Amino acid sequence: MKALVFGEKPEQTASLAAYLSKSIQPETTYAAAFTEYSPTELETVGGAGVKKIYVLPDKNWHAGPASTAHALSELAKQNGVDIVVVYASKKGNEIAARTAQRLDASYASEVISVERSGDAFLVKRLVLGGGYVASLLLRHRPSVVSIKPASENIVPGDKPVVERLNIVSDAPEVKFLESIKPEKAHVDLEKAGVVVAVGRGFKKKEDLAMAEELARIIGAEVGCSRPISGDLKWLEEERHIGLSGKRVRPSLYIALGISGQVQHLVGMRDSKTVIAVNTDPNAPMAIESDYFFVADLYKILPITIESLKKKLVS
Amino acid sequence: MPDVVVCVKQTVDVYQLKPHPETLAPQIGQAQWKNSDFDLNALEEALRIREKHGGKVYVVSAGHDVKPLLVRECLAMGADEAFVLSDPSLEKADGSATAKVLSSIIKAKIPRWDLILCGEASLDQNSYQTGPRLAEIFNVPHVSYVTKLEVGGGGIKAWRAVEDGVEVVSCNLPAVVTVGLEINTPRLPSLLMIRAAQRKPLNELKLSDVGLTSNDVMPKAETVEIKALKTERKKQKFEGKPEELAERLAELIISNVGGRR
Ligand SMILES: Cc1cc2nc3c(=O)[nH]c(=O)nc-3n(C[C@H](O)[C@H](O)[C@H](O)COP(=O)(O)OP(=O)(O)OC[C@H]3O[C@@H](n4cnc5c(N)ncnc54)[C@H](O)[C@@H]3O)c2cc1C
Ligand SMILES: Nc1ncnc2c1ncn2[C@@H]1O[C@H](COP(=O)(O)O)[C@@H](O)[C@H]1O
Repeated sequence: MKALVFGEKPEQTASLAAYLSKSIQPETTYAAAFTEYSPTELETVGGAGVKKIYVLPDKNWHAGPASTAHALSELAKQNGVDIVVVYASKKGNEIAARTAQRLDASYASEVISVERSGDAFLVKRLVLGGGYVASLLLRHRPSVVSIKPASENIVPGDKPVVERLNIVSDAPEVKFLESIKPEKAHVDLEKAGVVVAVGRGFKKKEDLAMAEELARIIGAEVGCSRPISGDLKWLEEERHIGLSGKRVRPSLYIALGISGQVQHLVGMRDSKTVIAVNTDPNAPMAIESDYFFVADLYKILPITIESLKKKLVS
Repeated sequence: MPDVVVCVKQTVDVYQLKPHPETLAPQIGQAQWKNSDFDLNALEEALRIREKHGGKVYVVSAGHDVKPLLVRECLAMGADEAFVLSDPSLEKADGSATAKVLSSIIKAKIPRWDLILCGEASLDQNSYQTGPRLAEIFNVPHVSYVTKLEVGGGGIKAWRAVEDGVEVVSCNLPAVVTVGLEINTPRLPSLLMIRAAQRKPLNELKLSDVGLTSNDVMPKAETVEIKALKTERKKQKFEGKPEELAERLAELIISNVGGRR
């Protein structure tokens, strides 16, 4: 069995190869890249199991997802691969979908696992808002999946064979104009031991200061529901927790003014203990938390913060 | 004057859906149906484009049992005309089958269009694939995860949210764009608009009307099982005076943060 892996970044490509080496164990793993890899990066992907890496001109990347998908599907065809595995970043999902359509392939996006099942691939993914796991059989060859495997320690190994290839594409172009980066530094929500998460129960951006203060005194990271970062832009995109955001697994998750819709719950389901504050006793969060405070966060948070300050000093 | 096609999927209302207590299978049979959330954002954006630039707004929907009442909601919001296709074989449709049906409806019934708008992901499948697949079928560019859109001069400019910030991109029309809840707030139709919608064309199609048979829409990704995820929680509820609750909360936080400070 042959696989082709592609991630936007070298470490993503490596994590895909490493995941496949454990799960479906392809005889040959090819990788695609649209930039030159450094010697260290080559040793990492090699150690992860990549035997050969195709380096394509970066214009196949900069011309947008149609062009990238064209390049990937050509590589898949040339090498007769059984499965194309793309790192499920947002761009990765777009590219994978177009690649699947181009190859007329079976495709499952954002899967959480891939296994062999006879001649088919058995994949699992979250559906129905994220409250359910679906198992799917991909019977056509090639199949395409996108997945975001957990990062693991990869022992560097032999560099893969590098082949430079020019694939000329007339695929419809999307022009890149500019990138607007968020100001704040990177947060590692996935690794946080305690998360204070804020939702639309907060009325103004300035009020988030309460949550930030709480987080500071107990050593937590601040996360949020999608409307807070997306609609309201009160916090950075990378703090949004849920189906379309981060999946966190802290020992304590404190949800302030979050209703607990299914797409949010997916992102915090693996928390050890969940405390919630909400004015609505019937909010879905009530049955998804260990301790549910029916209360106005504006009334109780200031007192809680003062009390914590005193308790933690003594 | 751009003509815009909006793909609106009808899905089970996942917010109300309950799993069977023993088998953990979703009890779809008892669930309500609704228009997929982001698709109403897509429709709203199409209506705003029409208000600014003119043109027509078409709604396209496919499924095993498309409900006319929900399509009327889209017409009441302001869409000009709807093409809907129901066929039992679409109950197990995957992205490949869906893109095939939707593109066939568009080819057969809406031969002139400038922009196709989709949700970035559907409420039930959350696949992020129908938009890009349609773009590939029509061999046009697509932009996904769009949070702000400008149409003009034969092209679009789009702001898209990706992991490391916002990317601003442009492309020519025709094109496909997918959107999420950030782009706008869908309007609620007034009674007047609801009444006016009764007279708008709602065309109900069969597979054969768009040149397809049920063989053409066999899924390539076959769902074999769906099971609810379960997390056991203590579900203790506290009500009372703010001062007491605040104190309780502080104690619980301390005992759960434990030694990790
Ligand atoms: C395909 C798709 C993907 C999505 N992905 C995500 C995702 O990844 N993450 C995500 O979060 N959402 C996601 N959503 C959106 C999700 O459906 C909800 O809309 C969102 O989670 C709601 O955010 P919220 O709880 O902050 O707001 P609301 O649902 O408006 O809840 C606010 C809560 O605050 C409470 N409240 C109000 N005032 C107070 C007060 N003074 N004190 C205490 N409580 C108060 C209210 O009772 C209410 O329960 C997605 C939706 C779709 C369709
Ligand atoms: N059966 C359908 N009918 C109409 N539009 C659909 C259908 N399935 C998917 N779409 C569109 O494609 C988007 C993404 O769906 P998905 O690829 O399933 O996540 C949806 O938000 C809709 O805009």
